[in-house]
Amino acid sequence: MEQLLSGYFIYMLSILLLFVALATILHMQFGITGIVSFGIAGIWGFGMYSCAIIMIKLNTPFVLAVIMATVLTGIISLGIGRILLNLDDQSVLVGTLAFSVIIEDMIVSESWLTKGVMGYGPVKFPFDFGIYTKLAYFLIILLFTIAVMYYAGRLHRSPYGRLLLSIQDNEPLARSLGKPTFRQKLIFFTFTSALVGFFGAISVPVYNFVFPKYIGPDITFTLWIALLLGARKRVFGGLVGIVATVGLFDIILETVVPIPSQYAGMLYNSKYFLYGLVLVLVLMFRPSGILGDKNRSINIKNISKFEKKEG
Amino acid sequence: MQDKKLHLKNIIKRFGGRKVVDIKDLTLGTHGIEGLIGPNGAGKTTLINLISHKLKMDTGQILYYAKGNEIDISKKSFDQIARLGMVRTNQIIQDFQSLTIRDSLLLSLATAKYERFYAIFSEKRLRKSAEEEIQKYLDYFHFENPDGHALSAGEKKLLDIIRCLMLKPKFLLMDEPTSGLPQDQTDMVIALMRRKTVEEGMSILIVEHNLDLIWGACENVYFMAEGEILIQGPPDEVRKNKTVVKKYMGEGDA
Amino acid sequence: MTFVMFLKSTLTIGLLESAPLMLAAVGFTLIFCLNGFINIAFAENLTIGAYLAVTFNSMLGWNFYASIIPASVLAGVISVITYLVVFRPAMRRGMGKSEMIILSVGVSFVLRFGINLIYGSNLFYFNVGKTYYLTLFGMGITSTQLICLGLALIIALGLYLFMYKTNYGQIMRALSDNEELATIAGINPIKVSVLVWFLSGFAGGLAGIFTGVFTWVHSGIGWNMILTILLVAIIGRVGNVRGALIAGAGVGIITTAVTLVTKPAYGAVVLLIIFIAILKFRKVQV
Repeated sequence: MEQLLSGYFIYMLSILLLFVALATILHMQFGITGIVSFGIAGIWGFGMYSCAIIMIKLNTPFVLAVIMATVLTGIISLGIGRILLNLDDQSVLVGTLAFSVIIEDMIVSESWLTKGVMGYGPVKFPFDFGIYTKLAYFLIILLFTIAVMYYAGRLHRSPYGRLLLSIQDNEPLARSLGKPTFRQKLIFFTFTSALVGFFGAISVPVYNFVFPKYIGPDITFTLWIALLLGARKRVFGGLVGIVATVGLFDIILETVVPIPSQYAGMLYNSKYFLYGLVLVLVLMFRPSGILGDKNRSINIKNISKFEKKEG
Repeated sequence: MQDKKLHLKNIIKRFGGRKVVDIKDLTLGTHGIEGLIGPNGAGKTTLINLISHKLKMDTGQILYYAKGNEIDISKKSFDQIARLGMVRTNQIIQDFQSLTIRDSLLLSLATAKYERFYAIFSEKRLRKSAEEEIQKYLDYFHFENPDGHALSAGEKKLLDIIRCLMLKPKFLLMDEPTSGLPQDQTDMVIALMRRKTVEEGMSILIVEHNLDLIWGACENVYFMAEGEILIQGPPDEVRKNKTVVKKYMGEGDA
Repeated sequence: MTFVMFLKSTLTIGLLESAPLMLAAVGFTLIFCLNGFINIAFAENLTIGAYLAVTFNSMLGWNFYASIIPASVLAGVISVITYLVVFRPAMRRGMGKSEMIILSVGVSFVLRFGINLIYGSNLFYFNVGKTYYLTLFGMGITSTQLICLGLALIIALGLYLFMYKTNYGQIMRALSDNEELATIAGINPIKVSVLVWFLSGFAGGLAGIFTGVFTWVHSGIGWNMILTILLVAIIGRVGNVRGALIAGAGVGIITTAVTLVTKPAYGAVVLLIIFIAILKFRKVQV
């Protein structure tokens, strides 16, 4: 029991949850709205490092630092979105990817601020409950992750979600109905990216020391592979995908089943090799993902159920 | 008679050096339903695209009249124009593949206040306020499964038209709206159009090759050829006009 | 550093660094021109070419210059295999452009980490044999660098001529516009596509070898360059081989200049700014 509470296990579960939250946000950006952003790791890294730096350099309490980091991330995302979102999909992909790479590069090179590869920190948890501290923080992360998934679920059942879906399906048609699609894409992108920054910020005490390797394009690809594997158009797609990738490899294989260290390199390479293979197979043979597509049409016999729920 | 809706001045559009549209001075929307006819290649669809800003004109100015204001829409974006009350249906069938029929209608009716990223509990309210109107359309056109997707081309065409009507436009452009629809549905669409022009003061411009429809439904007809509006007037006059007969009636579905 | 020194260093280093970049950009552009999507897995043509060459050279003891062609040819073959096994079927399924890019990332992972699994994570060095030291614009360079620069330019030029001056180039461009129509006109789409993908892999393999010979060979060789290659191809007006050549040279020189003055990260920033500026500018024009 002690092992579970204080050790590596809770740490990995916390990271897993954060990734689930990120993958769910990616679902909202890509699976609902159709924005192909490969910058999610850069934005998460920006939130992470801003929070850590604000806490340490400006001696700010945790909650305030999180808020500031979230707002800053929102502002940066607004800028990126403003520039990129009215370009075609390929340009958005490349542009956001480039941004992500640049963020990582700058964090490494501006080591006077970020301490580069030496890692920045330490940042402790904002409260102290003894051996229950990590668990308590884990529960907080769980709360926020569930909140994000709940929001995503509500989106599917709200006018705003319908608008986003219409933008994804046929943006010119949505515009011909008077919908200000660029503005809406920008607002949603900014909002969801700010959320990404938020999760980056609250990840800081979990990591204790933040390193550039936590925020590289690798993370972006892992999230994308997970979402595509799980189901890009489903709220739980991120959850399923992350459990099947990060959960499988980083938790079960590395924590519960100990792998002798000489195989560590091979495990790393095999992991990404398999990720690539899975990605190719999913896109070729099951593009909707494990959970499949979302079907919005309702059978006649379900209508009364629907009316009872809403009425 | 209605208040004029659009004033086109000196609209020129060239494709590779050739003038496809050349309109010196044209006022649209003074009648309830107006028709635009002409042989293939006359520039009808191009003109519609220029008006709704799907295409940029080389020179010219389009003035739009709403609520007593004169607005230059040459610089306005595609979606802004729709919000100002000028809407168009599509010649090539367009739809939202993941939305059901009811979804489409709710999308049309949803105003800005429902479409905010934090308004995630407003679905019930929207459905309630939209219920009556949506049901009227569903009943009128006999949609079998409104909570399913629009499957046939005819259903999608109808849906396109209804989406536009739900926006309560002041000026509606329809590019071959009834092609592909069975006759009874065509009649229903036209009857609905007539009612709307009377009830809501809407003006409609229909581009069509089906001349029976034009003569039957329109109060005013424009004849376009080689990029210019050559003749305009009530259907009876236009249909007897020598130029129209020569250039077009041989080809059309008269 | 005096300004003249700066100019000279920028030009020489810039040109030398550009040579592989230009080749890579051309190889990359060939695919984009033909198939219209961004193939991230192209990065691995470079890596595979470098690894194969180093296998022939350092492991099997072949002469460096003799290793270049077989390695690049094999890289071309592997490129064709990815086309026939993955990309062509995907395109025929009607996969969207963005998904194709993501798909190519998957292929890239498979190839890159596959290489790691086969070769381990050691670094490999080329054995170039006897080298002479020369000066170019007053900067010291080795004979190897000069030969590689020369080879790269020749091959890049050759590809350019091939694209624009021969029938094949025209056929390729016809194919990229409309495969059905081209087939009716008697062009075999598969044959032409295979040739193009082969040339793309060949050029990429060469680029990888020329990159690896000046530092070392590791599995990130292609991956590290792909973003730059991509930006160069887009700046040089994707689909235009001539543009890729010019942009490649230009980018190589500009990033060298920036890096000499500041830090590598800013080279990337400048590149990104140019990239976005050009995209926006073109959008306005259209």
